[in-house]
Amino acid sequence: MMAMSVASLAERLARIPKIVLFGAAALVQLALLTLMIIDRAQILRDGAEVTLQTRPVDPRDFLRGDYVVLGYDITQLPAGSLQNEPSGERNPPVYVKLAPNRDGVYEALSVHAGPVAVASPEVLIRGRLAYGASCGPKRDTFCEKLTVRYNLESYFVPEGEGRKLEDVRNQGKLSVVAAVLPSGRAAIKRLLIDGKPVYEEPWF
Amino acid sequence: MMFDRVYRQRLEADLARWESDDVITPAAVAAIRVALPPFAPGINIAVVVAIVGGLLIAAAFLAFVAAHWTEITRLPRLAMLFAGILSAHGLGAWFARAGHPVLADLCAAVGAIVFGAAIALVGQMYHLGGDFAGGMLLWAVGALATATLTGSRGALAVALAAASIWSWMRVLETDVPHFAFVALWLLAGALALAWNSRVAAHLVAVAALPWWMASAFQAPLDFRPSFILANGAALLFGGGIALAASPWPRAARAGSVLSTYGAFSLAGVAILEATLANEVFRTRAAAGLANQPLWTISCGVAGVILAFAAIATTRRAGTAFAAGAIGLVLAAVALWTPPQSGEPWVSYAALLCAMLCLVVSGMLDAARPRIVAGWLGIAGVIAAITWAVKGSLLNRSIFLAAAGGFAVVLALVLNRFVPRSRE
Repeated sequence: MMAMSVASLAERLARIPKIVLFGAAALVQLALLTLMIIDRAQILRDGAEVTLQTRPVDPRDFLRGDYVVLGYDITQLPAGSLQNEPSGERNPPVYVKLAPNRDGVYEALSVHAGPVAVASPEVLIRGRLAYGASCGPKRDTFCEKLTVRYNLESYFVPEGEGRKLEDVRNQGKLSVVAAVLPSGRAAIKRLLIDGKPVYEEPWF
Repeated sequence: MMFDRVYRQRLEADLARWESDDVITPAAVAAIRVALPPFAPGINIAVVVAIVGGLLIAAAFLAFVAAHWTEITRLPRLAMLFAGILSAHGLGAWFARAGHPVLADLCAAVGAIVFGAAIALVGQMYHLGGDFAGGMLLWAVGALATATLTGSRGALAVALAAASIWSWMRVLETDVPHFAFVALWLLAGALALAWNSRVAAHLVAVAALPWWMASAFQAPLDFRPSFILANGAALLFGGGIALAASPWPRAARAGSVLSTYGAFSLAGVAILEATLANEVFRTRAAAGLANQPLWTISCGVAGVILAFAAIATTRRAGTAFAAGAIGLVLAAVALWTPPQSGEPWVSYAALLCAMLCLVVSGMLDAARPRIVAGWLGIAGVIAAITWAVKGSLLNRSIFLAAAGGFAVVLALVLNRFVPRSRE
């Protein structure tokens, strides 16, 4: 049965003109690339704006090629009620509840293993643990401190401009405005130096 | 194709010799030549030079783009990437229509590679560098779609390579095996069957190996890599010989390829298991058999069941010896766990018998790769026993002498009772 269906599928494909098949292959690839771009554009268009304060990161990770590695105040967090709870995997997804302080910069309130309800102006952002899910005797529970990645850690800049941003970031003057969807997915929307926009991300 | 050419050359030499020795008549020689199918179109020197030229032009284009990349704005960059993909596939369609399947295949593979580069560059342009493994999955899916639509073996190779990297990266994130890769691997296997292609079968069989290695070496510390690999090799070999016994010719051809990789994997595992007896390599204080993962044991059991199914279908002694080799390797890894004191004589003996079974199975089934795998396994296991640091050298020499004596006696008995083939 399966043998016949596989053989008949191969025969049917062989009957279609080659130009159509190659064209379809190219279209599939272009569609996948377009989906990547549209997905991000959707986050920028619909996401709530959240300003995050960057912080210096390990100098060895500063610049690889032409991108700046961004660390945030919300990168390293206390686990709170998650500590000693089963983590399930080495890099589990986590949800961080954020709220703005008096300066309008968002800070972490709590960390959760799953989505939780938030009330405006709070925002829930989704991240993935880089470290902090391998504690306990079996190395399968959350640790006291967590390091979270939000997919906001890389920012590609024109050649030669990375060093300038790196200096500004180390002086504590660099902040990032991220767009965050209700699902928690986030993307970088603009970069601010001393509160003034320096890089604005177009949708496309 | 290459082997077809070698066979033709050898046949021509044999025909000339038989004709000069009056073994066959000139008329028979002529009839044999007429009966041979025409040569499949191959790659001539002009095509090879054309391929090199095409690759140089592509490299020049890439270097030009790289030199001016930062000066180009985002949308024109994207347009260039899209144009690269469209050009590769457009050229592929043109070659396919002009009757150059090898070049069309190459173009589809280049298209799949450009697609991978485009994912990386789009990730860079839009700051999407967070999930590298996800990018690899996207690449694998796009390349597999290209392979399915165009029949390109090159695109299939790209898809399997990207999927293997994706799987390795996901394995690093978790303690459980990455079964999602298996679904993609089965799809690739279905393509190999649909195409009835030996090259594709080789690609699919090769792609199984890194997955098993990743599963074995990234597993929690109380799991033994050699145990997991032994069960994987059992499933590959058992599945291979069961497929080879299938009445469906496509499956039988793919099965024979899979069984070759299974036989070499089994030999590799036998050498690994004998080597890990050496105290130098006792890095993982392994737990007993009961603590080994259930899915792994299930794979080993499935391999044995498939091997027995193949015996029931073929009723050939060679298949029975192959099943014996699987059973003995599994018994060897199950019987001995590293924390045990003393030397694993029974496991050593089982591994040697398993490799001997592999050689005999290859001889009876006329499967040369299986014979080579068996001999390599015998050599590797003997070397591992001889150079083991554990225990006393005198005990090992007694064991090897006893095993050698048993083999000589067995040879004498076989020589007495088994009818010898005519020299």
